Amino acid sequence: MKKLFNSAETMVDDMLDGFVSAYPHVARGQSDPRVVLRGIDRKDADEKVTLLIGNGSGHEPIAMGFVGRGLLDANVVGDVFAAPSADLILDGITEVAGKAGTILLISQHSGDMINGRAATMMARDAGVNVLALPMYDDISAAPPDRKKDRRGAPGTMFVYKILGAAAEEGRPLADLFDLGEAVRDRIVTLAAAVSPGISPLTGLPMFSLPEDEIFLGMGVHGEPGVGRVKVGPVADLVDLMVGKLLADRPIGKGGRACVIVNGMGGTTTMELLTVWAETEKTLARHGIRAIAPMIGSYVTTQEMGGFSLSLLEPTDDMLACWTAPSNTPSFPSIGFPPVVCAEKDMA
Amino acid sequence: MSAEPYFAALWRVFSDEMARLNALDAAVGDGDHGSTMLRGLTRAADAGAGKRARAFMRASGGASGTLFGLILLGIEAHLEDGASLHGELAKACERIRDLGEVAVGDKSMVDALAPAVDALENGDLDAAIAAAGAGRDATRDLVARRGRSQYVENGGKGHLDPGAVSVVIFLTVLAETGGTA
Repeated sequence: MKKLFNSAETMVDDMLDGFVSAYPHVARGQSDPRVVLRGIDRKDADEKVTLLIGNGSGHEPIAMGFVGRGLLDANVVGDVFAAPSADLILDGITEVAGKAGTILLISQHSGDMINGRAATMMARDAGVNVLALPMYDDISAAPPDRKKDRRGAPGTMFVYKILGAAAEEGRPLADLFDLGEAVRDRIVTLAAAVSPGISPLTGLPMFSLPEDEIFLGMGVHGEPGVGRVKVGPVADLVDLMVGKLLADRPIGKGGRACVIVNGMGGTTTMELLTVWAETEKTLARHGIRAIAPMIGSYVTTQEMGGFSLSLLEPTDDMLACWTAPSNTPSFPSIGFPPVVCAEKDMA
Repeated sequence: MSAEPYFAALWRVFSDEMARLNALDAAVGDGDHGSTMLRGLTRAADAGAGKRARAFMRASGGASGTLFGLILLGIEAHLEDGASLHGELAKACERIRDLGEVAVGDKSMVDALAPAVDALENGDLDAAIAAAGAGRDATRDLVARRGRSQYVENGGKGHLDPGAVSVVIFLTVLAETGGTA
């Protein structure tokens, strides 16, 4: 497989060079070039709670693309598909810490949890007011009675965005932490993979799958999922996936769901919009209104083909934060929910 | 007191022991324990005062770099700042159990570290080394419940846990370079 890199040793730093020079929203940290901070729109960390996350690279634009106003204050960038070290995450925490406090978001994978929690402990030893918020939403990783054993999947973007908007409003640390947990506990995600990504480190496919099969529930690193299904019309696949999501966390008739249709990197906008159209119709058949969708390839695994579907049953506050404007290199403008549009039409 | 002689000596010992530790790890894991420890210790030996354990964490990498780094952070604080060795290692041990979700008897570094912490309560580093050594030797008959070794044949029974071996080296080198409890 052809890839456009200089070398395995420099690929992450070469990418970061391009990223920070392309976007004024972001800048490198003082402590380490792998710490990405806001370049503009910085706020006084004694007044505003700061938010950050560490993650392995190779999944861009998450999470460095979400650094900016109304979203993250920093991102700590690890090697390809590897959690950043506790020491590096500690640098990130220290750079953004202030009197208002800090929340370290952690997408639940073993290395991220150990290193993120260790960094939090070390920062607290040094007197920093930081809390770690584990995020998990992949329903294929564990049954509902063991939600805490689930891994982080693209539905965690709901947590980033909603907490980011709420933090920008100046809400206090304890309120934000509670809000983050409440959002997390309302998110469900299920993925469908159609083709593997190619590891930039080995040049090899990360898993194999027969031409006529789709892997349900695969994690962002190719972790095994719940099973295989035959390729058919996307309407049938979406119907199956929505059914599993709603069985895991039911939403009542007349309810609403914010939706993320996340492409894994090798799936086209044409396909993702088709998935969204089928998701909206399927939810409508369940009596649920699909609103404020985020559609695109934001959590990727190189050119892996497929998508994940995430649902959040929002409170009014969560919905307002989800649709609030933000200014980052990569987070999209989320469309106003149909309910608002309908009111506009009546006016 | 500076931690520099300690980290220099630790680097020398792991340079000598790398192949043996890799071989031990090959029986229960992916065979790179000696190499990853040495990679971390090489950076630690070159780092400045108060930054050696953190340099180890970053260069060693992965979750194991973090967990062994927590022990080295404690030893460094003891050597640089005069923090209580018992207090520092007790804190490290508690955090390793919590983060690694590992208990005594799971065939891990904790099987050497936890008895050493208990022995240090009475203030004797030699007793701690003896207790850690006994804990290390006991890992031979244990079945792994965490980490990679849980997936190998019989959970690695019949083989020493390389992490426990490394913990004993940490303490032995501390005694040799003039550390006291």
